[in-house]
Amino acid sequence: MLEGCVFATVLCGFLGTIFKKNLLMKIVSMDVMSTGVIAYYVVVAARGGVFTPILTDGEITGNYADPVPQAVILTAIVIGFSIQALMLVGVMKLARNNPTLETHEIEQNNTP
Amino acid sequence: MNTLTIAWIALPLIVGFVGYLFPRVMRYLSLGAAIASAGYAAFGFTQPPFTLELLDSFGISLQVDSLSCFFILTNALVTTAVILYCWQTSKTPFFYLQTIILHGSVNTVFICADFMSVYVALEVIGIAAFLLVAYPRSDRAIWVGLRYLFTSNIAMLFYLVGTILVYQSHHSFAFTGLRGAPPEAIALIFLGLLSKGGIFVSGLWLPLTHAESETPVSALLSGVVIKTGAFPLLRCALMVEEVAPIVTLFGIATALLGVCYALFEQDSKRVLASSSISQLGWIMVAPAAGGFYALAHGLAKAALFLTAGNLPSRNLKELEQKPINTKLWLVLVMGSLSMSGFPLFIGFSAKILTLKSLTFWPTLAMNIAAIGTAILYAKFIFLPHQPQDPKDPSPVKLGYWLATGLLIAGLFIGNGFYYEAYTLENIVKVLAIIGVGWLIHRVLIQHFAFKIPLILEEFDHIIGVMSLMLVLLFWMVLA
Repeated sequence: MLEGCVFATVLCGFLGTIFKKNLLMKIVSMDVMSTGVIAYYVVVAARGGVFTPILTDGEITGNYADPVPQAVILTAIVIGFSIQALMLVGVMKLARNNPTLETHEIEQNNTP
Repeated sequence: MNTLTIAWIALPLIVGFVGYLFPRVMRYLSLGAAIASAGYAAFGFTQPPFTLELLDSFGISLQVDSLSCFFILTNALVTTAVILYCWQTSKTPFFYLQTIILHGSVNTVFICADFMSVYVALEVIGIAAFLLVAYPRSDRAIWVGLRYLFTSNIAMLFYLVGTILVYQSHHSFAFTGLRGAPPEAIALIFLGLLSKGGIFVSGLWLPLTHAESETPVSALLSGVVIKTGAFPLLRCALMVEEVAPIVTLFGIATALLGVCYALFEQDSKRVLASSSISQLGWIMVAPAAGGFYALAHGLAKAALFLTAGNLPSRNLKELEQKPINTKLWLVLVMGSLSMSGFPLFIGFSAKILTLKSLTFWPTLAMNIAAIGTAILYAKFIFLPHQPQDPKDPSPVKLGYWLATGLLIAGLFIGNGFYYEAYTLENIVKVLAIIGVGWLIHRVLIQHFAFKIPLILEEFDHIIGVMSLMLVLLFWMVLA
């Protein structure tokens, strides 16, 4: 069930990048897609259990979440938002001459 | 070797950030870092292959062998040439910073042996390449850069999903985890790498990006950056035999598609960019020989792009009317002959080595692709030329001669890696292929002007094709 929702998020984001006409909306859709991917890592990490894996002196119950996917997805989150930021700066520059930001228009103006 | 490898990987990044604080010496530092990479590659050839486990038991590891050394050497030579080319231009330290960061992250891809490190390196490459493409800050440059970054980021998101599926089945990120991974994992990872590397129809973002970038950036992109998508595929094909047929098949399809695409182009930079797609196919078709071919392609293509940027026009029809400077024409001819696989050049040895390791049907297909390549480069070889007018107001800069001199020297010296290729039979065969290609060029292509519509290169279609490719890959993995 949870997995289904996550994949629906990824799919919605991906379809958004194709069908949204506005460049800004395309970038937001890409963000939705990457949110879905990040959520999937969290779901996979929680397969074995949801306890935070911290070493204590007490009982070891064993239903710990897997820390590895969470650790690597941190990197991907950082990379993802820095790319978002960079693209939005590019969009700001483009918006000066293409106020509507319609990709079709921008493409026609900038393809040789 | 371990310490050396880590120091060498860190060097370009340190140089980039430290050098930016001292803008005056940035050029010298970045040139030094690129030459250091060449030294490392030369040293790596003499060492036995080695693997370095970085962390725990999750498969995060580095692997250096002759395949990586070929790619690293390509990267070092092309980056050095590009920095020399830019030496006398008014490029800001920011440009050199991005170039050297790009150089460092490309190196990282060439020694990674796990999916996660490759992901991080590929994303850094995406950002650095975007900044280089958008360096002129014109609207067109920013749009082309955005389009590249967008495509590569979507591709990498698919790749990430594939990576976690591999981790789920093995609790490790190593390339070897593809064996026994679910088919959807292989399909997703391959989709990411194919799109990133500009291979087959996923690579149709490439001609516009490479053609509209500035000359030195085009040389970098076509010379080394696109090979970062192909390299992990080669590694996987060598480590996991089950996926090798898929990689070979894509190699053949890409070689033929790129050639067909380039035949109908009239713009010199677009011809070169489309030919890059086809050459990627050559690199992938025989994974064991891929490294050597990548070196041959990188050197020749960078020299050709640097030269194309110095010609008076980009339109080949116009160039046929107006003779070009003979010296430039000579560089153009040497690069083109090497790409067509003419004896004396590294392209010949590389083509023979690649064809040697193929079975009958792939050999036939690749020979057709080789004829196509010869037709393409005949467009450049048969351009009219005349000695330069001494009163010409725009002499070619010294940096250009240093850069192309280095690359052309590499084209000759590189033969030393595989001099066994020089048998009479091979030479006759290759000359026949080139002869047929030139004949077809003379008889047919010259009088023929037909343009492929650009519909497939539209932004939405590039993204849409990804979903089709995913279905195709999934079906291939299952079959």
